Amino acid sequence: MALVQLQGIKKSYQLGKTEVVALKGVDLTIDKGEFTVVMGPSGSGKTTLLNIIGCLDRASAGSYKLDGEEIGHRDFNDLAEVRNRKIGFIFQNFNLIPVLDVVENVEFPCVIRGENRKVLRERTLKIAAEVGLTPYLHHKPDELSGGQRQRVAIARALVTEPQLVLADEPTANLDSTTADQIIDLMLKLNREHGVTFLFSTHDPRVMEHARRVVRIHDGVMADGTEAAKVESDRLHAAAVH
Amino acid sequence: MFSLLQIAVRNVLRNKRRTFITLAALLIGVTVMVSIRGTLNGLQRSLLQNVVKGQTGALQVHRAGFLKNVLSSPLSLDMPQDAAFEAKLLGVKHVTAVAPRILFAGMVNVADQTIFLGVQAVDPLREFKVVPLRESTLEDKSQFASGKVADAMVVTDQLEKALRGANVPKDAPAAILAPDKDGALSGENVTLTGIMKLNMPGEKKVGMVRLDVAQKLLKMEGRATEYILAVDDIDNIEQVAADLRLALGKDYEVSTWEDVAAFVKQAMARQSFILSLVAAVFLILMLLGVANTMLMSVLDRTREIGTMMAVGVRRSKILGLFLMEAATIGALGGIIGGAMGTAIVLVLHARGISVTFPGSNVPFTIQPFVTPGYLLAVVSIAGFGALLFAVYPAWRASRLRPVEALAGG
Repeated sequence: MALVQLQGIKKSYQLGKTEVVALKGVDLTIDKGEFTVVMGPSGSGKTTLLNIIGCLDRASAGSYKLDGEEIGHRDFNDLAEVRNRKIGFIFQNFNLIPVLDVVENVEFPCVIRGENRKVLRERTLKIAAEVGLTPYLHHKPDELSGGQRQRVAIARALVTEPQLVLADEPTANLDSTTADQIIDLMLKLNREHGVTFLFSTHDPRVMEHARRVVRIHDGVMADGTEAAKVESDRLHAAAVH
Repeated sequence: MFSLLQIAVRNVLRNKRRTFITLAALLIGVTVMVSIRGTLNGLQRSLLQNVVKGQTGALQVHRAGFLKNVLSSPLSLDMPQDAAFEAKLLGVKHVTAVAPRILFAGMVNVADQTIFLGVQAVDPLREFKVVPLRESTLEDKSQFASGKVADAMVVTDQLEKALRGANVPKDAPAAILAPDKDGALSGENVTLTGIMKLNMPGEKKVGMVRLDVAQKLLKMEGRATEYILAVDDIDNIEQVAADLRLALGKDYEVSTWEDVAAFVKQAMARQSFILSLVAAVFLILMLLGVANTMLMSVLDRTREIGTMMAVGVRRSKILGLFLMEAATIGALGGIIGGAMGTAIVLVLHARGISVTFPGSNVPFTIQPFVTPGYLLAVVSIAGFGALLFAVYPAWRASRLRPVEALAGG
């Protein structure tokens, strides 16, 4: 069943006096539970695409349905609500709040929506254990390694129980061993929680694990993703068993 | 709302460096404001005491029209100086002591020097009960007050210097000359026993004689031109004035110290105005400091704001968060600065500051103090002011676009 449905998505920016067209009419459908990679060279429009899917930005034209609901034209506050309830983010730079410790960072999206603290704490501790953060619960971000920080970001993305997790180059700032661990962790969470993951990456290892790779070039989607999907399904099966 | 406040307080407490920088401006400003206000309070209280307990008394009673003609010291506008009249004054609630005076203009003569002067004739023992500070202004109070020298007179040192020209022996006889009640020039021998200091600015050539000397000189036995009154609490003064007016009727006028020494009240009002001006400048400077650090903080935290927006924090909450952080810092600055200012004021109160007013040669001690109301006002102004001056930085933070904020602006 389709979770994300994009039709004819266009996005243009005003850069000084020139208009820059980042997306020239993108059609894309992502099913629930998918582990999908968007790839493309720098300036291809993949970050813009992720920003629109993540409701961090709005398309200039086209239709965006999330979980069957048209959300492309909602106002800023509605989009904030959608991000809070339905979408989790994992960033290349981790983007943790420096004054908060691990537990507080993970809980933050739920605290601002006024969740019951006791229930939230139980869920947070469970997720922290799942991502291997139990020994670091009261460490501040600057006391953690890159891999540990990305685990915090993953836990924060999952604590709201979102339908979609967007990861913008999540392994770009990590060494290869840590990157492998993070990819394995996300695969495990995808499998166990059924959360839909959408990545943008250059990292071939992430692509190896993706069950679907979509390519974007100069603001339009490239064809021929089926082969990659079949290939990644095979690799994925091998990794699981 | 509550969780937002918690987050704001936590941010303020954990961002120690940033908080300290913002707080520093507030702390200095509030501390200085409290210290200056406290010192001024002490100064004004001393000024008031000096006037009320050293010169005018809390209240004065004259015959109607006296104050209008005070410069000519009219002897015709007099009143009885007897037990019955005094009983009437003392019968008014809160009045604790009364003392009669005669004010007149005359000349004093020593050898070949004759100088015009203003004279206050008083009953020393009763005078000092109403204006106790006055006793310390007399260099030779034993002779004047005790009555050992029946015709004793004290004068200001300026007058003394003018009278004691070259070759005038110390014990040269002196005389006081003045037109009596009927307008005929009259004279009495006096003995200059000492110097009186002035504790208020004003006429420098004045002297003081005993009431009975003046009554004899002016042919005013059993009469006085004014009564000064002491009250138990200066705050009751308006009530006492009203009761006195009722008891004495329209033939008499009752004045408070504020009416008699209007210049003191004006001086106090002027001091308070200048202080308010200084305080306002300080306040604006310190709040501009707050606004500046808040703006820096918004720039510094752009990515953090982007992260908050990404996880679903609404613009209104970002605005609220920054405002609450500013208000928290403002309140902290107000409370800590208020405490520091109070501590300084308390130390100064315990030690006392010795000063002499211009136009006076009696040094006295200022004991600074602050009122809880003023402290509360300062804390509120610091809190609300910080909130107000944080509106623009907070608005800037809330208007950031998530995508740009995440990229670090």
